[in-house]
Amino acid sequence: MISFLIRRAAFALVTLFTVLTLVFLLVRIVPGDPAQVILGDLASQEAIAALRTRLGLDRPVFEQYVTFLGGALRGDWGVSMVTGRPVIEEVLKVLPWTIELTLVSLVIGCVVGIPLGVWAATNRNRVIDYAARMGSLMGLSFPPFVSAILLLLGFAIMLRWFPVISARTGSVGAWFQSITLPAINLGLITAAYITRVTRSAMLEVLSEDYVRTAKAKGVPWRAVVWRHGLRNALIPVITIVGLYLGILIGNSVLTEIVFSRPGLGKLIVGALNQRDYTMLQGMMVIYTLVVVLVNLATDLAYGVADPRVKLT
Amino acid sequence: MRRTVCALAALAALSAAPALAQQKTLNVGMATADVGKLDPHLAAGTPDKGLLHWVFTGLVRFKPGTSSPEFLEPEIAESWTVNPTATEFTFKIRPGVQCHHGYGEFTAEDAAYSIKRAGSKETSAFSADFASVAEAVAVDKSTLRIKLKNPVPGFLGYLANYHGGNMVCMKAAEEMKDGFGKKPVGTGPFEFAEYQPQQYVKLKANAKYFRGKPALDEIVYRFIPSDATRDLAYQSGEVDLIYGKQDQTWVQRMKALPNTVVGVMEPAELSSLYLNTKVKPLDDIRVRQAIAYAIDRAQLVAFKGALVVRPSVSIVPSGYLGTDEKAPQYPLDIAKAKALLAEAGYPNGITVKTIHTTLPGMQTTIEAVQAQLKKAGINLDIELVEHATFHAKIREDLSPIVHYAAARFPVADVYLTQFFHSRSQVKTPTAVTNFTHCNQADAEIEAARIEPDLAKQKALWATAQQKLIKDVCGIGLFEQLQVWAWRDSLDLGYELKGALNLSIPITEKTRFTK
Repeated sequence: MISFLIRRAAFALVTLFTVLTLVFLLVRIVPGDPAQVILGDLASQEAIAALRTRLGLDRPVFEQYVTFLGGALRGDWGVSMVTGRPVIEEVLKVLPWTIELTLVSLVIGCVVGIPLGVWAATNRNRVIDYAARMGSLMGLSFPPFVSAILLLLGFAIMLRWFPVISARTGSVGAWFQSITLPAINLGLITAAYITRVTRSAMLEVLSEDYVRTAKAKGVPWRAVVWRHGLRNALIPVITIVGLYLGILIGNSVLTEIVFSRPGLGKLIVGALNQRDYTMLQGMMVIYTLVVVLVNLATDLAYGVADPRVKLT
Repeated sequence: MRRTVCALAALAALSAAPALAQQKTLNVGMATADVGKLDPHLAAGTPDKGLLHWVFTGLVRFKPGTSSPEFLEPEIAESWTVNPTATEFTFKIRPGVQCHHGYGEFTAEDAAYSIKRAGSKETSAFSADFASVAEAVAVDKSTLRIKLKNPVPGFLGYLANYHGGNMVCMKAAEEMKDGFGKKPVGTGPFEFAEYQPQQYVKLKANAKYFRGKPALDEIVYRFIPSDATRDLAYQSGEVDLIYGKQDQTWVQRMKALPNTVVGVMEPAELSSLYLNTKVKPLDDIRVRQAIAYAIDRAQLVAFKGALVVRPSVSIVPSGYLGTDEKAPQYPLDIAKAKALLAEAGYPNGITVKTIHTTLPGMQTTIEAVQAQLKKAGINLDIELVEHATFHAKIREDLSPIVHYAAARFPVADVYLTQFFHSRSQVKTPTAVTNFTHCNQADAEIEAARIEPDLAKQKALWATAQQKLIKDVCGIGLFEQLQVWAWRDSLDLGYELKGALNLSIPITEKTRFTK
């Protein structure tokens, strides 16, 4: 177990270093000058050149890279080229919003998706199965910004149950109001994925010999499905949840924009549009770190779900 | 389970009910994901500028609701004198003007510092506007003297609360340095109170504002990048004033809402095509004329919507000091366009490339232009790129035709200099936005700049426009106005016709009537 963790940590470091280098180079290859974007189209070339010097963009790329790596090793991600605020401060201010949205969406996805998948599998080719498959297909093909607008129209404008600007804080009620619609929006898409994976994994498991044996022994069907069947079907479900967690963070941008919530997705898009190199670099490191940690957690969860899985 | 759901729904509904005490708080919805730097000398984007002109004041101001230099009136400066050659301005600073957050009284020293700061390329995006300032000195606590190297048309307007004219308090700016953009200190009716990333900036009323305490207690400037969400937030009552879409259907939809006022205001952004006169086939004036003859302005206006768009009158937006309002633009004449192409040696038509932004409003325009040019046998090859890339590529001179929409300080000199003077040619050390490489009106532009007689000055600007239009350096398409919507219970306190900062001025008189 310990050697597994050490290997994964080393792998994570290599991944981080590679991502850092790639992001550093890529943002500089993309056309667009941060100084021009910051100062706008009225700025003179002299002002732009002065800002480039101040931002260190006139120095050789290798020198910029060494400075950047040195800072990164010391935990200094620099300051945003656009706002002048420390990158880490900007990220930490919005990170809790993204984590919160992602986790609640994932919970909704699991709570809806797993039982629905199991239910569909145990009722294969019946109305329930067709309905679940149709529902999950709709969830997968429905653009999140459209479902977000429909949710706002229904629950914020017509029923007036929730605010349009989903960024309230200060009390449990306010939190509940802010998280519900965005989390449902993302959660239902997650549920669609999980339903499909759970259904197919359960169909495979339910045709196994040990399931037939359990049924023959007279074990109640509910126990066969939920205790014996689902536990063995969980590995692919955990894989999809782990993979989707990373995707969710990236995909949350449209939900953040439509529900007017702060978040990492909006920060990345803003940094990209404004060519905020330092912010993009810092964001990518955070994002990579999250993906690495989620993958590690997924691997560890395999062992918990199935004791036959050994982490070596 | 049902009880739990009902309880949660009730809790949500109760918390969603709008607070009754909102009448003293103005909630504004702005089309941005966040603000950039809140330093008025660096803020070039509409979302940042739109907020800062409630915080900062200038030596003079555009009368609230107007955007023309003819309506300039005293602000921090209560009076001023100008020498006969318009190269020396002496301002009397209003006594008792207080800087926000206890930074003390605003004096002539602060004003001199502010002008030097706005003119420095190290600290200002608008340094070019102050390039002609020879000196700005505080003669005494209440007297400021500015000497210019040469007369600058409409110079007084540069000292209004717009771009570099925003007055900063010296002590605060020096104390905070780069941090000034995080906690701006001005002398306006509202002072900075709070910033929440990606959510809002909160301003509170400046009780010591020299025109009197504002009627509103607070402004919450919310960042709502999605157009649809901004509209819904307005309908749900969460915001009272929203930045609109420059779109006819949006205006019509908002006008249909109860208790809603839709403001369509100046300054208009002139949408133009700039043709690079140094590359083939555009180096042939007959080809450029063919393009000009193929443009149908009336159709473009009908396409974009007459409520928000009007046809261009020149290559300078209408209403600017010095715009030739009846400039001889090329009329629509497809037959003539085809004949000119044939005469230039292209009987089968031509293909010309343009690099263009993916910004939806601009993209639909260039696609409409593409369809119009096609009728004359001109194939416009559009390469779509994301907005920052577009700005980079057109400045590298990679787009033979540039479609650009802009509003500038409302004096013809600014537009003519930036878009048509040889010093502004792209890929030069003094580049601004001359994508055409034209220089045929340099003499008139320069002469007009130092011409003391207004009539002669206007005549020089008119000649410059006529020359540039005749040689088809630029082709004006249409002018697009700014749109905002607000509740009819919000009394702005003035008649709104325009606002140079592109957002609604909120003054000490702005209040809710209900």
